Amino acid sequence: MLAYFIRRIAYLIPILVGISLITFFLFRVVGADPVDRVAGRYATEEQKAELRRQLGFDRPLWPRPGRLLAGDFPGFARNQLFSHLYSTFTFRFGRSEQYRRTISEMIRTGAGPSLSLTVPAFIIGLFLQITIAMLCAFKQGRLFDRTVVVLSVFGISVPYLALIIFGQAYLAGRWGLFPIYGYPEKFGFPVVVYLALPVLLGVAAGLGSGVRFYRTVILDETRADYVRTARAKGVGEGRVMFGHVLKNALIPIVTQVVVVIPFLFLGSLLLERFFAIPGLGFMLVDAVASSDWPVINALTFVSSVIYLGALLLTDLLYALVDPRVTLK
Amino acid sequence: MKIWLTLGVLAAVLLGLFLSVPFYYRPEGTGGTGEMVRRAALTAKIRGLDPQDIGDTTSSAVAGQIFETLYTYAYLERPYRLIPQLAEGMPEISADGKKYTIKIRPGVYFADDPAFPGGRGRELTAGDFILAWKRMADINNRSTNYSAIFAGYVEGLDEFREYSARVDEVDYERPVAGLRAPDPRTLEITLTRPHNFLLYWLAHLPTAPVAREVLERYGRDLVNHPVGTGPFKLAGNFRSNRFSLVRNKNFRREFYPDRAAAELAERGLLEDAGRPIPFIDRIEWTIIEESQPYWLAFLAGKIDSAGIPKDSFDGVITPARALSPELAARGVRLIKAEDPSIFYYGFNMDDPVVGKNRPLRQAMSLAFDRETYIETFLNGRGRIPAGPIPPMIPGFREDRVNPYTRYDPARARALLAEAEEIAGGEIPVLKLAMPGTDTEVRQQGEFFRIQMRRLGLEVEVDYMTWPKFQDAAKTRSHQIFALGWLADYPDAQNFLLLFYGPNRSPGPNTSNYQNPEFDALYERAIAIPEPEGRIPLYHRMEDIVIEDCPWLLTTYRVVYALYHDRLKNYYPNDFLSGTMKFQKVGSDLPNSLKLNN
Repeated sequence: MLAYFIRRIAYLIPILVGISLITFFLFRVVGADPVDRVAGRYATEEQKAELRRQLGFDRPLWPRPGRLLAGDFPGFARNQLFSHLYSTFTFRFGRSEQYRRTISEMIRTGAGPSLSLTVPAFIIGLFLQITIAMLCAFKQGRLFDRTVVVLSVFGISVPYLALIIFGQAYLAGRWGLFPIYGYPEKFGFPVVVYLALPVLLGVAAGLGSGVRFYRTVILDETRADYVRTARAKGVGEGRVMFGHVLKNALIPIVTQVVVVIPFLFLGSLLLERFFAIPGLGFMLVDAVASSDWPVINALTFVSSVIYLGALLLTDLLYALVDPRVTLK
Repeated sequence: MKIWLTLGVLAAVLLGLFLSVPFYYRPEGTGGTGEMVRRAALTAKIRGLDPQDIGDTTSSAVAGQIFETLYTYAYLERPYRLIPQLAEGMPEISADGKKYTIKIRPGVYFADDPAFPGGRGRELTAGDFILAWKRMADINNRSTNYSAIFAGYVEGLDEFREYSARVDEVDYERPVAGLRAPDPRTLEITLTRPHNFLLYWLAHLPTAPVAREVLERYGRDLVNHPVGTGPFKLAGNFRSNRFSLVRNKNFRREFYPDRAAAELAERGLLEDAGRPIPFIDRIEWTIIEESQPYWLAFLAGKIDSAGIPKDSFDGVITPARALSPELAARGVRLIKAEDPSIFYYGFNMDDPVVGKNRPLRQAMSLAFDRETYIETFLNGRGRIPAGPIPPMIPGFREDRVNPYTRYDPARARALLAEAEEIAGGEIPVLKLAMPGTDTEVRQQGEFFRIQMRRLGLEVEVDYMTWPKFQDAAKTRSHQIFALGWLADYPDAQNFLLLFYGPNRSPGPNTSNYQNPEFDALYERAIAIPEPEGRIPLYHRMEDIVIEDCPWLLTTYRVVYALYHDRLKNYYPNDFLSGTMKFQKVGSDLPNSLKLNN
């Protein structure tokens, strides 16, 4: 198990280097010149060149092997790619050019609000999706199951944006049941008040597709031989569902769940925008639109690390939930 | 099973918490604390509140309440007029126009802050301006404003900038020949050449003073700790989506203005003339980036003033361009005001197809249906432009008739035939660059394409992100491009510089227009110290540009602003961001407005 874990960690390194190279290529090699935005609208070319020098963008993009052959190691190492890889792998992402803040501070202050929105929505959503899916499987083909299937398809068909717009306009704007927008300056109980509507809308938005997916997974299991055997032996339906079916359906559930975890960190773009929640949801989009290179780099790298970590966790959990799986 | 139970309990508790909110949630009142609170919204995030680095309207809106400058614009006077603010009077300018002596107003104090000994803000000195301007010049601070305000003008300041690029730690004690403070209340600026627009820039927020104590305490983190001499100070974290400004107890005794343009005086904006300001105790800001919650918040009375989102416009404004009676009855008021801006499609004059073919540019201008454009994309909030100098700018001519901004397809076709002769055949497919990729930008690109197709021209539209668009402009790669320009100060030079040959790309003259006659007039105009003396030359320059048509002008924008009538003394000012000290807020909302929340 330990050997497997170490091997998988070792595999992650080339993948992360690859991701880092792609980001560098897309935004530094073929992307727009970030100095333009920093220099201001009246800046002359000389002033921009000075800024470019100051930001290190005057250095060669790639290492020059000729320097190494000439024994000039500092000259070989002095290039934008190496600086990029060094700052990325040491997590020294620097400052956002757009917001003049350190990126670590931006992530630290934005992750809390994002997670406070996405984690409850995820927990409630997951529980409701699996519970409803199990009830559907339990009552397969009956009115309840059919109604849920129809509602799920309807739920999938409603665009997320429309759900947010109508939910906010009616539940908050017209009927005043929830605050229209906002997030308290300090974390505390009022957070519940401000997050209630966005969380409920987030849960509602994911319900249709989630129920459809888990219903299929659970129905597959209910048709298995061991379920028929359990029923034939007179095992109660509750024990069949929770003790056997749910346990055996855990592999696809774990796959689905763990893959979602990295996205919890990145928040919800639309919900955060509409409910004025100061999270990370729009940070990456904003950074791409404004060529805020340090932020793009930081968020791409950090989310890749979390995503790859989640994939590793998925494999480890497989072994935990299914004794047939061994990690070698 | 245990995991499942844990998940179930957790989910049930959370669901219960959230679902119970409607049973105890009551919308916040808008009064009751005994304080006069102004509620305002920002539609974008604040970049930062380091005064020397401020360049966006969102940050300016907040920083303008905290920081002050040597000069400012009279709040209610039109045309705009510069008046002293932190300066005691207008500057003494030497006969050669190269030396400015400015007396600093006594009795001005910085707001209290832990950076000062005992936490008490100290009196403002001339040295605080010198420090601030050196900070702007310091390349490590990456201020976007240096190139516009001081570059090439102040003796020794460019050298200071070069020095800042060479050292690890910049010494702000290092003297700059052109910036001197012979005593704490006297500021001397020595220029390398006359700068007839310097005073406008000295009314610009980036020239606001900074106290050495504040810089020493916060260093680079000064961007998060604004300490100014203005009527309000920051209370809370502006990086969150809600924060407040509270009254600066050290703010000097200042009074509401007693002069206003006739139209503004008629609106009752002089009722508080001579009364001490500020009236407001606290400003509550919320950052709402989406138009729906912004609009709902205004309707619910959670913010005092707002623009009108495009999608809500028809429900709010009648076809006669008045406020809907329903909203008027609920105490909402409307202000319509033109702003000093211009929007256009620019032609790259270096391009062999559009740049060398004046009849083609004129034909395209005549074939563009501006009325439909303004109605479709701005809900009618604009008017057809006559020239590059917009309204509210001295030199704007209300009576000017531009022969190429009317919609005249027949004349356009005649000119196109002429253009084809010059081109030696059919005009090839043209390329339009649009700065953005969102739906509205795409619709505008498509509108342009259809207009030109009606004329008989094919246009391909390229939608690009703003940085990409800028990059292409810098390298003169655009053929036709959509752009706008908002005034930095109320002088037509700020618009005409966009046609001055030496300013061609990568400078602000993105059309790469070059006309020796225009350039000569421009150079003559900017050397005239009196603003009124420049205007006849500006008019001649405008005539040249209109005939050459390097821009297909689309719109002079008209701003529609709404406010609840509990908000008093509110009126937009295009160049002044610190206007909240003049405003006051009456008692709670009328009941009719509480219906929705």
